[in-house]
Amino acid sequence: MTELKSRNFKRLYKKEIADQKLRANLKKATIQASDKRNDSFAEVDFNFLRNEAKKIKQESVSHLNDLLSQFEDRAHKNNCTVFYAESPEKANAYILEVARKNAVKKIVKSKSMVTEEIQLVPFLEKYGIETVETDLGEYIIQLAGETPSHITAPAIHKSRTEIAQLLHDKIGIELNDDPAFLTGEARKALREKFLSAEMGISGANFLVAENGTVVVVENEGNARLSTSAVKVHVVVTGIEKVIPRFSDLRIFMRLLGRSATGQKLTSYVSLIRGPRTDKEKDGPEEVHIVLLDNGRSRLLGSEHQEVLHCIRCGACLNVCPVYRNIGGHAYGSVYPGPIGSLVTPLFFGPENAPELPFASSLCGNCTEVCPVGISIHHQLLAMRQEIKSETKGGLEKFVFKNFRKTMLRPQRYRLFSRLARIFSSTPIARKAIKGWTDYRDLPQLPSRSFREIYKSNKGKG
Amino acid sequence: MTDDREKIFAAIRRSLRGTERSDALRSPASPLTSVHREDPEPPFRKFRTELEALGGFAESLKYETDASKFIAEHTEPASSIFIYDQVATRFRSLVGSLSESRRLRFGNEFAAGYDKREVASFDAAVTGCAACVAETGTVVIQTDMRLPAALAPKLFVVVEQKQLVASLDELFTDTFGNADASNLFMITGPSRTADIEKQLVKGVHGPRDVLVLFINE
Ligand code: SF4
Repeated sequence: MTELKSRNFKRLYKKEIADQKLRANLKKATIQASDKRNDSFAEVDFNFLRNEAKKIKQESVSHLNDLLSQFEDRAHKNNCTVFYAESPEKANAYILEVARKNAVKKIVKSKSMVTEEIQLVPFLEKYGIETVETDLGEYIIQLAGETPSHITAPAIHKSRTEIAQLLHDKIGIELNDDPAFLTGEARKALREKFLSAEMGISGANFLVAENGTVVVVENEGNARLSTSAVKVHVVVTGIEKVIPRFSDLRIFMRLLGRSATGQKLTSYVSLIRGPRTDKEKDGPEEVHIVLLDNGRSRLLGSEHQEVLHCIRCGACLNVCPVYRNIGGHAYGSVYPGPIGSLVTPLFFGPENAPELPFASSLCGNCTEVCPVGISIHHQLLAMRQEIKSETKGGLEKFVFKNFRKTMLRPQRYRLFSRLARIFSSTPIARKAIKGWTDYRDLPQLPSRSFREIYKSNKGKG
Repeated sequence: MTDDREKIFAAIRRSLRGTERSDALRSPASPLTSVHREDPEPPFRKFRTELEALGGFAESLKYETDASKFIAEHTEPASSIFIYDQVATRFRSLVGSLSESRRLRFGNEFAAGYDKREVASFDAAVTGCAACVAETGTVVIQTDMRLPAALAPKLFVVVEQKQLVASLDELFTDTFGNADASNLFMITGPSRTADIEKQLVKGVHGPRDVLVLFINE
């Protein structure tokens, strides 16, 4: 597996934060997305739905074995093959085996975060199997040789001019930056791939234990084609995606589209049961469902269990002041934003992303919008403490420890705040925290505290 | 290749050991409360409002022949239109009168292993549906050929009034959950993307036009 870039968070975010154009694009796009999200909840009771969703997810992860067995049983009855993979390597090897058995030369793939997590596309390409991303945003970044920078809007960091130039260079179309024109040209190129590919790969938003349904939501129609126009369909997803009942979709379908893009429902929801039946004239002849663990089972029973509730809607990214300024690539992980800052160290080990839990202002916007009620900012805080208690020594650890003590003792607080006021007005202060002041101002502390002003004014009427 | 099922199940058991479980798994048959707020609008009007807000179209027509007139008006004389078997058998007069002015291709002309390129060249497809959902302007289709409805630039859906349900609550039930088919597709308006600078573009890989015709006859 390729090394995670999230170790280099500091270097990456400095590069991104200096890019004014990127910041402006991002801000516009994320603000627009969160406004649309807010409007779309007018007709339904968000809190009610969120509570229900949370209950279902709690129920699902705490009965994970039972539900996986039930799902597997139903999937077998529906003629699907289920494969459990502990690691990315195992999942990739199995998918390669399926492709080879079917003499596959070309694969059409729809959006799936788990396939990014296991680096499936570069793996398959290494073995000479052309694997084409068919979601427009993913197609663009695949042509650019980049990685997605947002969970639901992978090319959010790219301007239309950049995209026009890219498609001009890579697929030889006329230079024209009209989004409708660019989309039309991409469709033509991709249609050809759909008609010639032997295998399709998709993710899954939900797996229904009760009847073995694989649920895939999308807007473009590419997932529908990737799962229908091919001989073999491979679903790649995490073990935590299983939910008990078909009727639970009443809750999740009302939350997911609204949270992701402000839509009451996405344009397409494919409810896939299995390969084509005798009565059907098309659809895949084989459906394989690959269920990945990769660190998920370890989170069960821990204080981070609720991270497994995530339905990857991306709402927490859109409202995050840090994400809005640095974008997804700075996180150096396939999972960016607030949820990425949790999932990355949890799935890949804290040593691979020691700084990500600190990339948050802890404002709580993420927690407020999360449709499954994950207490994201509290989780981040807990994770910071875990990481700091594992690191030996360090100025930061010393400061954190003393900050807590100081806040709990009024006399000590007064002494420290007086010293801080004196210190902050000296040039040494700016030098001492240069890293912090590179991109923001150090606020000037008033020469007297509120208490002092209050005391001296007392009695003056 | 042997999988890691047993290892993963053991790891899950280990992690969950001693943890407090939330309530026992609710039985699938337990009564469900509706989460949908009552709509003041009658279902058809609600369906139309929702679909049209997305750039789709819905109309309530008296006779099947009104529908064939509508389809003819909304397609070019030279276009080839795919008719699903379920439409050909259920709406005979619609198909009969449409065949007078348009070149129709029927599902029964195709067998498994058919030429995908030929199907990709159709200008429109006419399908029936399993249900329509007023709450979201959604049509739910279950067909023996997935591709014509997924590839055609124009999709006409012919619906009987009784197929309209008020909300998603009525869709995610056993009736649809246990249907004997490999797939069920929910279509809510045109295929769309906002991947380039968040600007909405309709008609990416699926139909650009979704026109739903309710027949009251
Ligand atoms: S953490 Fe919540 S808001 Fe963020 S992507 Fe997951 S479900 Fe959406």
